[in-house]
Amino acid sequence: MNVVVCHDLTKQYGRSKALQNMNCTIAENKITGLIGRNGAGKTTLLKIIAGYLHHSSGDIQVFSENPFNNLKVSANTVFIDNEMSFSQGLTLKELLETAGSFYPNWNHDLALKLFDYFSFNPKQYHGNLSKGMKSTFNMIVGLAARCPLTIMDEPTSGMDSATRKDFYRALLKEYIAYPRTIILSSHLLDEVEDLLEEVLLIKSGEKCLHLPIDQLKEYAIGVRGKTVGVASWTEKMELISMQEIGANMSYAVIRNDRSIKELEDARQLELEITPVSAEDICSYLTSKTKGGIDHVFSRG
Amino acid sequence: MLLNADSMKPIYVQISEWLENEILNESISADEKIYSQYQLAEMFNVNPATAGKGINLLADDNVLYKKRGLGMFVAADARKIILGKRKSSKLHSLVTELAQEAVQLQVEEEELVTMIRDMHQRIKEEQS
Amino acid sequence: MYLAEVKAWDIVRKQYRYKLKSYFSVFTSLIVIQLLAILFSFNGTGMGGGTSNSISYEFYYYTSDIILVFMMIWAFITAIIITTRAYRYDDFSFVTNRTISQVSNILFLLSASIFAGITVYLSTHLFQILAFYFKDNYSIIVDSLSFTEFLMGMITSILYIFLFASAGYLFGILVQLHKGFLLIIPTILFGGLILDGIGGNPTLFVNVTNFFGEETSFILFICKVAIVSSILLLASLGISNRMEVRK
Repeated sequence: MNVVVCHDLTKQYGRSKALQNMNCTIAENKITGLIGRNGAGKTTLLKIIAGYLHHSSGDIQVFSENPFNNLKVSANTVFIDNEMSFSQGLTLKELLETAGSFYPNWNHDLALKLFDYFSFNPKQYHGNLSKGMKSTFNMIVGLAARCPLTIMDEPTSGMDSATRKDFYRALLKEYIAYPRTIILSSHLLDEVEDLLEEVLLIKSGEKCLHLPIDQLKEYAIGVRGKTVGVASWTEKMELISMQEIGANMSYAVIRNDRSIKELEDARQLELEITPVSAEDICSYLTSKTKGGIDHVFSRG
Repeated sequence: MLLNADSMKPIYVQISEWLENEILNESISADEKIYSQYQLAEMFNVNPATAGKGINLLADDNVLYKKRGLGMFVAADARKIILGKRKSSKLHSLVTELAQEAVQLQVEEEELVTMIRDMHQRIKEEQS
Repeated sequence: MYLAEVKAWDIVRKQYRYKLKSYFSVFTSLIVIQLLAILFSFNGTGMGGGTSNSISYEFYYYTSDIILVFMMIWAFITAIIITTRAYRYDDFSFVTNRTISQVSNILFLLSASIFAGITVYLSTHLFQILAFYFKDNYSIIVDSLSFTEFLMGMITSILYIFLFASAGYLFGILVQLHKGFLLIIPTILFGGLILDGIGGNPTLFVNVTNFFGEETSFILFICKVAIVSSILLLASLGISNRMEVRK
């Protein structure tokens, strides 16, 4: 069953489009990574799914219903981001108890254990926490809520690296203990890729790719060698990226669908074939130009 | 447990190879239940689907068999299958690489064969 | 996948409880304002005096009207405050939808108005006692009220306070909808009053005040306030149902 179904989903702010004809489905009980550059529309998409924002056109269904202003969606969804605000009149401990009264599957034992582990002061207020501590607290709410749809928008922002690792581990263990649909948006695909089952890559408000993570890792290959060789070998291929990396040396990225014959040719041309990490594939695919940042600095 | 993140091998292949090693060194014997995908996911800190793919890889090679409702078990001839597989794939690719390197370094055929023979003998002696 | 089914009324109750706890500071400000109002009232809202031959007298007229007026302003401002972004977003960190947020807000305002109405009466008494001890009065005449009169007075105060809260709430929601209303509404309000007064014979303000103030039937008065408040609040509900959260 699909938890989220978007069909030609568009969100317009004035004249600019944050989302453009987005078509995607997110299947039940999978951890999906929502990846994209800054301003690609990740947060807008997540907020529409959570029912915070209206969409301008197209269709969106969450649990087979329109999420905007929908109590059923709200009760079964938890949306964690760093803008999350909690009442200034309640202490952290009271906030956890309140959250517990709202979410039907809330695991208070887990919430308290995590709360202690990350050494929160029960009498403190949310507004007085540092950015990283806020993220950590929000994450505790997100995990303990055990909502069938758990959305986390950049959940680790501000966390130190040890806390981030703890968080990923906690997320995985919670997911195994209580499977649910998790959408995780992140800049740091490298850090989260092992956790993910699928990756939804978006670029300028449109879907770029939606693949299982294993396929994404094998999506492309890199070719390094003499510029002439690289150019002649890739002549008839569709380039994902092409960079000059020094005197007469080039590095090209292409789809990983070459025949053995072609790979043999590459060897003859003394080209080195290397795998491309999922993170690199994503940044090449979402780059505005085929040359990347070097393009900006190139002479002529 | 750590996986080699820089390795060219996909994680699920690394997991299936780790399981093969467990079978080869008899940490898990024939007809014994293998780790579930959730146990593996926790051990290696990866998504259970990825771990499941690693298990399926072994099931496809008949190293594991499925008992309905109970999970995956090690086949009786698992060791034999794994050894055969390693010989054909791993050794083959290692030999290819070795030969290529030898050609590039202009090592003659005789010299290469001698090197391999010596190393083979030494390791056998050390093990016995 | 197991999806939780929740009842709207159940969530309203939870949001209401959450608000009572988290908006506690509202009640602190209420107490402070009442104390201030008592202080203001000390000079008396009216005074007079006279002399005849050998007797001179002065009289001071003390009422709790100022306390009530202060409470009405307090209710108006409190209502505006809870429509602001920070307060609205707090609801959405937990389970809710727009209607539930609004209904729980309205319930909160109603509770706050009741609390304020009751305390107005309590402070009146406190005030009278203070006036007795701290002013060199030779004689004090206190209106003696029957229990029903006392109750009617209290309900009237509560209704007035709630009326102002409703007005403040709609104003707040309109401002949240568009910042322009922050200018437009006062302009219309004061502009209307000024235009009305240009002829030297203002009727608008007087009529509005009389609509409530001159009503002699207690039941009709309750109806009038209930209807006007409902219109104001339903308008707020309708508007806010389309508003987005955390843009």
